[in-house]
Amino acid sequence: MTSGAGVITITIRKRTWWFWSLAGLWLLLEVLFVQTAVASVQEGEYRAATICWIVVGLLAAFGGFAWLRRRGPRKRGHSSGQQQAVSTSEPASISTAD
Amino acid sequence: MTEYTSAEEIFDVEEGSRQAGRRTLLKAGGLVAASGALGSIWACVTGAGFKSNTKKRAMWIRTVDRPTLSEKTADYKRFSGNDMFALYRPLKTQRDGAGSFEAEQASKAKRATAWIAEKKPGYSLPDIQLSEGAWTVMHSTKPGSGLLSWTRISVRTPSELGTPRHTAPPEEMANTVKAAARLYGAGLVGIAPMNEAYVNLQAPRESEKEKDKDIVFEDVDVPSVSDTRFVIPKKMKWVVAIAIPMDLELLTRVPTALGDAASALGYSHSAFVVSSLAEFIRGLGYEAIPCVNDTAQSVPFALDAGIGELGRLNKLVTPEFGPAVRLCKVFTDLPMACDKPIDFGLVEFCKQCKKCADACPSRALSFDDEPNFKTRGPWNNPGHKAWFEDSYKCLEYWQKSNSACAICLVSCPYTKGNEAWVHEGVKATASIAPAADPVFRIMDNAFGYGKQHDLEQWWTKDSQSGRRG
Repeated sequence: MTSGAGVITITIRKRTWWFWSLAGLWLLLEVLFVQTAVASVQEGEYRAATICWIVVGLLAAFGGFAWLRRRGPRKRGHSSGQQQAVSTSEPASISTAD
Repeated sequence: MTEYTSAEEIFDVEEGSRQAGRRTLLKAGGLVAASGALGSIWACVTGAGFKSNTKKRAMWIRTVDRPTLSEKTADYKRFSGNDMFALYRPLKTQRDGAGSFEAEQASKAKRATAWIAEKKPGYSLPDIQLSEGAWTVMHSTKPGSGLLSWTRISVRTPSELGTPRHTAPPEEMANTVKAAARLYGAGLVGIAPMNEAYVNLQAPRESEKEKDKDIVFEDVDVPSVSDTRFVIPKKMKWVVAIAIPMDLELLTRVPTALGDAASALGYSHSAFVVSSLAEFIRGLGYEAIPCVNDTAQSVPFALDAGIGELGRLNKLVTPEFGPAVRLCKVFTDLPMACDKPIDFGLVEFCKQCKKCADACPSRALSFDDEPNFKTRGPWNNPGHKAWFEDSYKCLEYWQKSNSACAICLVSCPYTKGNEAWVHEGVKATASIAPAADPVFRIMDNAFGYGKQHDLEQWWTKDSQSGRRG
């Protein structure tokens, strides 16, 4: 949200269906690798546990990066985000991108 | 793109952020729920979450009409009963000259004493005696007597209780017997029809002075054991095949005296399970003969009963425990519904994998791409398709390592702990999509599976031993 000269600009970027699908897959992989890492320690397979923890870390870093990058500022007129100038004193017209 | 312009849908920034927060929360909740659902589906399909000793098996384990590798020729006959332990001494003498066996045993004993003195990890006195202690039950019995008696030990028969013997439909009888077997400690249990071809011709002699005892089938009511022969009643048409899981914490410490305790414990568990089950069956009013390795070949009965498939190491490989099991069986005249053999993609996997053959320090296992009819010595029963092993080389390594080896059992990618869900997923995928088999072999190596675990840690850590056995 930016403001200036009595105008508030609200940018709404809805995450697409494929983003949520990928997020679901990411979560599944994280759960699976965390479980495997913990279970591998119980099984005494320390090398497998180390590898799994590394994968968990890499996946977490990738997931965090993807999440934050999507929330960052975009160039005006980008296809996936819409910006509308909204007067603070009038009903607004708001667009959303599917 | 949707535009909202009506007065009712005027966007309030603060309310909007609250709604956006709720939406995110709902989505996150949805994701967690979806993950849970997918996890549940995963568990159902792959079998993760089911305890392996319950009745239900994973969906990826298919039942088939005949065991994989069931091809037999006219050469397939009852086995002599002379296993490698009986054959090793004469073969060693024949190959390396008179006195070579005795010299080898003397060297082995000298090594054992030295290793005890220097407290060599895996061969210290506690390590050796752990195994000796685990053998106690098995060593206190022998085929046809003690726990493995072919006749009633102590159970009260129905007639003594003033009641007729127990009767029920075959399916119900099978479930009753399986439930009892599982209670006594069976990891996997199945019912197979009696096949006389799997029964040994003779029971090996117990000492040099004795003769081998013949094992015969006769039209008699009760089994009997005499100085000259073992008599199995022909009415015994059913075999309860049982797999006893070996303790993985110990097995991952082979080849050492410490690791040997896994085999020892497996044998003693087997003797306990089959003797208890035999008494249970006798208590229902039927005859039962408990056997561990003796009297008959356990593997073909286990194949017919759907316990597992025959793998490259020429041993039974189960989907749940891999080859890390001890097999035993009970012959009976109690009518039961028989199980079907299974196929979980093992033969195709073994063709690609060869990890056990690579890991075998004595190069005793076959590297052939396809299973075949080529036997490697008199310890193999000819006339059936398999990857035959060189048991002489195997047993020779036992003498050199002062242990019962078992590296092949622990190196098999199907031998895994039951903690990580991913193992079930890998086995399920191997069953459904054999094209992925080479990848699984590579991954198995990369993750370090099959390597020997820290020997001294077994005594000091909060050991997981006993959880699978």
